[in-house]
Amino acid sequence: MGDYMKFAFMCRERRQSLNTRVAVIGAGPAGLSATGFLACSGYDVDVYDKQPLPGGLMTFAIPSWRIPPSRILDGARELEEKFNVKIITRSKVYAGEETHEEGDNLVEKKINLEDILSQYDLVLITTGTWISKIPKLPGTGARGVTTALEYLYKWKIHEYNLAPVKPPIAKRIVVIGGGYSAVDAAEKALKTGAEVHLVYRRTIREAPAGIYEIERIKREGVAFTELASPVEIIEKNGVAMGVKFQKMTLGPPDETGRPKPIPIPGGEFTVDADLVVFATGESPTPPISPSRAEAVGIKLNKDGSIWVNDIMQTSNPKVFAAGDVVHGASRIGPAVKSGLKAARYMHNWFMAKTGRMITPGVIAQ
Amino acid sequence: MTQDPAVKYLRTIDLGRCIGCGACEAACEFVHGAPFIVVHRTSVGLDIPISCMHCAKAPCVAACPTGAMTIDNTGAVYVEQSKCIGCLACLYACPFGIPELDRATRTAVKCHLCMDLRREGLEPACSAICPANAILYGEDALVFQLAKKRTAESMAKARFEFEFRGV
Repeated sequence: MGDYMKFAFMCRERRQSLNTRVAVIGAGPAGLSATGFLACSGYDVDVYDKQPLPGGLMTFAIPSWRIPPSRILDGARELEEKFNVKIITRSKVYAGEETHEEGDNLVEKKINLEDILSQYDLVLITTGTWISKIPKLPGTGARGVTTALEYLYKWKIHEYNLAPVKPPIAKRIVVIGGGYSAVDAAEKALKTGAEVHLVYRRTIREAPAGIYEIERIKREGVAFTELASPVEIIEKNGVAMGVKFQKMTLGPPDETGRPKPIPIPGGEFTVDADLVVFATGESPTPPISPSRAEAVGIKLNKDGSIWVNDIMQTSNPKVFAAGDVVHGASRIGPAVKSGLKAARYMHNWFMAKTGRMITPGVIAQ
Repeated sequence: MTQDPAVKYLRTIDLGRCIGCGACEAACEFVHGAPFIVVHRTSVGLDIPISCMHCAKAPCVAACPTGAMTIDNTGAVYVEQSKCIGCLACLYACPFGIPELDRATRTAVKCHLCMDLRREGLEPACSAICPANAILYGEDALVFQLAKKRTAESMAKARFEFEFRGV
């Protein structure tokens, strides 16, 4: 019980320094949990993050009524003050030619991943999923089409007063999706005074956010339509005016095990909107371009995630990876689990490699 | 936070604050190898963490034929592995279905509120990592007080919103 997240929950204080430098790239739940363990174990950890504050999507997307930001920020501060951790913000680590990622608005410094690799003994990549997937439909390039991540992020930097960015205001907002980002974006939109419509292609029972969350925002005033999939953004002079949807029905289970939505012929309808928010998933954003990956020795999978072996080590032995950038967009729990696991594997691997004993204790099972 | 044996400690989970993220389960699994707090997706879509309640009059302790199921001096219910015969009378007695059988040791296992961490003066991993401040662990009087303070806050908020926001 306390007022902040104790990322170093497994120790009271840092063990004797191993004189070993670790760079953690990405200060989200996976990166900070891993940092807690590594700092406890005696590593000198520097955490790099592109945002001005640590916490990743916990700080920059999840509504503050779900997670009070002070719990994350004070937790990160404890790592700095008690565990000799340095958190280097507004710094984006990357190698190769950059593609557009969301949430890059406040980056001040670009650091080459290859420099990090040469300066540190070990590296952990926990860069998450900062690219939203938008279905390829006519009109998605129109002004007034955005993503849940971008939408929530802009409101967050406005609320934290981090930059004089005008947050996205609109009269009629359509949010497309059925996950937590969809629910959070729809609820945020409602709070800005907009008329909000949430549309999901399966039914409320399949929605990843769950029946409860969707019923909750319906009660708040969000209109919810299930079994409809967008087919076109209606635009006029390059500005979004609405969304044309196709009515769907549920078919046999697809590869995810959920019933596959199948179009109902002729069942099309239109919803007017001056802002269209896609909350249709996010993709992994490793700190390296596919063309540079091979040269640096960090293999990427087809979906852009980082390939790791069964000890969460990348194809470059001193580089490990964890969290959403490895397993795809998930939740805080799986990210924490993955970060902790990778940190322990990293420690065990490094101790074995340098011929040292692993000090027994709670933290080294 | 070194534990005073004269004071009883308590963990409660504030389901009103829980966001179902599973960080507690992740930290618990990291410390114990298998999680003793598990977040369950329910039919209505709410994610509910389930773990031992550490009952003050624990039926599992009463039902245990060998005295393996015990309450430590801070109030945590735990299994003394060397005494346990793996009969699972504790599971039959438990109203919450908590104890499990560890196939390797053939003994009952369950949450002990991170006994090893507490010995070091640390708090249980689940409450330490919780992003939403939903898991309260501490001296019972403080936990009772905080639980009520939260209720007062939510009642006040409901009344405020009803009177001034019309909801």
